Amino acid sequence: MKPLIDWLERRFNLTEMFSFLTNFGLFPTAVDTSRPLGEALSDALGRPLPSYARWPRVLGILSVVLFLFLAVTGVMLAFYYRPTPDSAYESVTTIVRDVSFGWFVHQVHGWAAIALVLILLVRLWRFFFQGVYKTPREALWIVGVLLFLVAIHADLTGRLLAWDNGGYWSTVRALEVLYSAPVIGPSLEFVVGGSEIDGNVLIRFYFLHVVVLPGVLLALLFLNFSGVRRVGLSPLPGDAADAGGGAAKFRVHLYNLLILLVVMFGVLITLAVLAPAPFEHEADPFSTPPEARPPWYLLASHGMLEAFPAIVPRWGRALLLEAVLAAILLLPFIDRSRGRKMPERRGVIAIGLVVLVLWLYFTWYGYRLEVAS
Amino acid sequence: MIAALALLAIAAAADPGNLCTLCHPDVRVAFEKSIHSSERVPCTSCHGGDSTASTVEGAHRGRFDPATDRRAVPALCGSCHSDVERMRPYNLPTDQLALYQTSSHGRALAEGDTSVAVCVDCHGVHEILAADDPRSPVSLRNIAGTCGRCHADDATNPLEAYAGSVHGLAVAREGNPSAPSCSRCHGTHGAAPPGVGDIEKVCGQCHATTRAYFLESPHKMAMDEAGLGECIACHDHHRVERASIDMLGTVCLQCHDDASEQVEMASQMMTLYTGAAEALDAARALVEKAGEVPLYIDDYTARLTEAHTFLLESLPAMHSLDLSHVESLTQRARSIGHEVSSEVGGKLDGRKWRRVGLLLFWFYLILTLALLGRFRARAARDSRS
Repeated sequence: MKPLIDWLERRFNLTEMFSFLTNFGLFPTAVDTSRPLGEALSDALGRPLPSYARWPRVLGILSVVLFLFLAVTGVMLAFYYRPTPDSAYESVTTIVRDVSFGWFVHQVHGWAAIALVLILLVRLWRFFFQGVYKTPREALWIVGVLLFLVAIHADLTGRLLAWDNGGYWSTVRALEVLYSAPVIGPSLEFVVGGSEIDGNVLIRFYFLHVVVLPGVLLALLFLNFSGVRRVGLSPLPGDAADAGGGAAKFRVHLYNLLILLVVMFGVLITLAVLAPAPFEHEADPFSTPPEARPPWYLLASHGMLEAFPAIVPRWGRALLLEAVLAAILLLPFIDRSRGRKMPERRGVIAIGLVVLVLWLYFTWYGYRLEVAS
Repeated sequence: MIAALALLAIAAAADPGNLCTLCHPDVRVAFEKSIHSSERVPCTSCHGGDSTASTVEGAHRGRFDPATDRRAVPALCGSCHSDVERMRPYNLPTDQLALYQTSSHGRALAEGDTSVAVCVDCHGVHEILAADDPRSPVSLRNIAGTCGRCHADDATNPLEAYAGSVHGLAVAREGNPSAPSCSRCHGTHGAAPPGVGDIEKVCGQCHATTRAYFLESPHKMAMDEAGLGECIACHDHHRVERASIDMLGTVCLQCHDDASEQVEMASQMMTLYTGAAEALDAARALVEKAGEVPLYIDDYTARLTEAHTFLLESLPAMHSLDLSHVESLTQRARSIGHEVSSEVGGKLDGRKWRRVGLLLFWFYLILTLALLGRFRARAARDSRS
């Protein structure tokens, strides 16, 4: 092994390559690119670790790992998938019925997608309540919001691909929500090619799902971890400012991460086996199932759009949604309170709590809409 | 005079060869809807007279016949419709008049009973439509009502009985062109009630398999000798209901004793059939469940279709009263149902191995976690020292 690495080392700058990869968060510290890979690694692994490099500062890493996992399982699915309305359902049936462990890859891909969106969302709430968006981490907040938005679009485009009735109608409902937003809606409609879900929309969703959105996600993850590398992990108000004085080393931190990842995969695989997502009959564009509702992350928007009295025009309600979204995106520049501690940000925290409660309420309301009818 | 000339001019402009409608506008309205109008049959071909004359006397001159004598109607219509040369371009049959003369209607008319149906009673007079025109009184959906105009007051009320029958509902609800209305069994122009010994022939026009089985059975000769109406003895005639296996529990008792071997055989056939039907239902439910998983079920659905064919054939086969044949058909259906159930059930059960696999996976997962925990502890110790 060593002679091979040495041989390669003389021909490629392995340390530089590895150093590039560390910008995607898998390795939480910079490496010395002037030294051979082995030396650089053992040097980096032996560096002391800030004592606060622990839960919950692992959500970013978890989302990278989930992204990689989704990429690998996605490639497996793409080996069999055919993105046309005539053969999409048949090809997915082949995957989940005839291919060995095809059902498993299909299910685990779906659950990993849910986990990714959920983790990115939890991460945003952590950023909010712990004041992580404060100077100098404003850009991290914006990147985090964008990561969440791109991830839900990646999830949404994936839901249509199986072309089963549930996925199809869930997409129809989701597009109804997205298209009603002024400016953003028509732009999306233009990109996707109209409000009718047909073969053109399917192949565009497919291309967005397997190439464009993963590429954007990867770029955003790179931005995120380059930013973290530059400004450092954020100590909590209670943490000691001991940037170099922690007891543990990166080696230990990596073991912690590994243990977390193994547990996460255990959970994903258990869910895939015990709680498989339904794969329904082929999509029927001419009969809306009564329980057709958008995916869970759009239920609140859907509920809010429907909750207003009829006198408020739909575009007006959607405009309010867009205003909320803009406020979230620009939060670091809107919240000018001085400190990061909760008592110093009472007003913002209160507004945040109200938004969280409203979000949960409208999610419930949006879910109930289709149950009632 | 000027006004009369103006009217004439209008009429002439409308239809220069036909001035009859000048005085008979109401007839014109009716006639112009008819197939005869679109085929340019003039008034004079039925009524005689002169359609180019502009006075009443002139128009009604010569061989003019208002055609009000019912007894003359069949021959009048037949003067064209029995003419092979004239009907050839329309590909219409020309035997209607001959058939009519053999019918109960025609024979009664010949004996002087003018209350029976003649051509115009069913087809209409001036407004006659093609028989396959859905608005025609003799089209599939309308003919029962047309016959019923006269035949509804019989003691048996055949119209009401037919309307509630499996045949009547198939025509009225589905417009099913294979389902019979009155004329399919009684004849159209040669309409007459079928005789007792002919009923299986009439029903057998559609129910050919059942008829073939029935002819093999001891029932055929026995029923003819007893003067029983073959099919209708069990199924009724106008009131035919959808045949069901439960009939074996009731209709046989009309002639046979409760304790007789015939009733015993009926209950055996019923048991054979319901057993096979239940086996197929169970198999179908399992296959459907497997399809939702999804598992590969195309082979099983094909086999169930085959089994269903055997089961369906056992129903006409029961009319032969050949228990062994019914048994072989129902047994084949049943055994296919059981085979499919056990194979699909096995495949569905196979899915529980996924859970066993999950348990094994967690075993290795916990092992891995323990190992990682040890490595982590060692790394932590090393970094402290």
